[in-house]
Amino acid sequence: MAAKVRFDDVRVGDQIPELRKVVKREEVKAYADASGDQNPLHQDDNFARSVGFPGIIAHGMFSMAHLVRAITDWLGDPGALKSIKVQFRAVVYMDEELVAKGEVVSLDPATKRARLRVWEEVDRAGERQLPIKNSEAEVELS
Amino acid sequence: MPMNQALKGKEYQQVSFTVERDRVLRFADAIGEDDQVFRDPDAARAAGYPEQVAPPTFVTVMQIMTSGQAVLDEDLGLNYMMVVHGEQEYDWRRPVVVGDVLSAVPRIADIYAKGPNEFLVIEAEIKDASGETVVVARSTLLSRGTAGER
Repeated sequence: MAAKVRFDDVRVGDQIPELRKVVKREEVKAYADASGDQNPLHQDDNFARSVGFPGIIAHGMFSMAHLVRAITDWLGDPGALKSIKVQFRAVVYMDEELVAKGEVVSLDPATKRARLRVWEEVDRAGERQLPIKNSEAEVELS
Repeated sequence: MPMNQALKGKEYQQVSFTVERDRVLRFADAIGEDDQVFRDPDAARAAGYPEQVAPPTFVTVMQIMTSGQAVLDEDLGLNYMMVVHGEQEYDWRRPVVVGDVLSAVPRIADIYAKGPNEFLVIEAEIKDASGETVVVARSTLLSRGTAGER
């Protein structure tokens, strides 16, 4: 029950390993069933078009789960993630590739805690979209 | 139609939720989580946990139940069809594990408008059977284009 990342090995500016995932319709459906969020915006293209989107979009929490996975994969212990606050700023369509990223912005030797800036990118027709931006997490290192 | 601002501070009925192994596994599958600590109780114990650990954002399962009361509250007047998720915050005191019996009293922490959109903030302090806080969840729902004329 401790992070595999040692406080002394981390510097401000360090990036956590990025985590990539191509978003598939079946996964979004599985997420709807597992989470209980059955909003048709995430399942029914006709409905999504009726409210102004070109097709269904992934749940914000689906994207956030992927971002959290990038952080806990790096930490090697889910209990070392203490808090997270994210802003959802762009939608994610099916078959797009989500790239979760993070960077250390501050370190507190007294608590061995680090603050991370975290975000998610999608490349859409050559333009970088940020489904999650201006977000941060606090982690406890060993 | 804008939301009813008078509901700021309103508390809803307590929601209880038992963390079941099968649900945790399905959730782990859905998010592509293959770390054994989330899948195998023995691996979780070897890592120092009392039971199979729920992925951190598993809390959303309970949160969807808690926020449902506000979202469907006719007095609030939220048009769910125009809603997208704006922000999400979790403050964990410990990881959720299989067998936890959790409860929370959801509360409308804030309602405000910014430009054409409205924001609904729902907060829930999720506690375990012994009354200890496990995680504080705060979600902001964005209602597109409903700020309108008052």
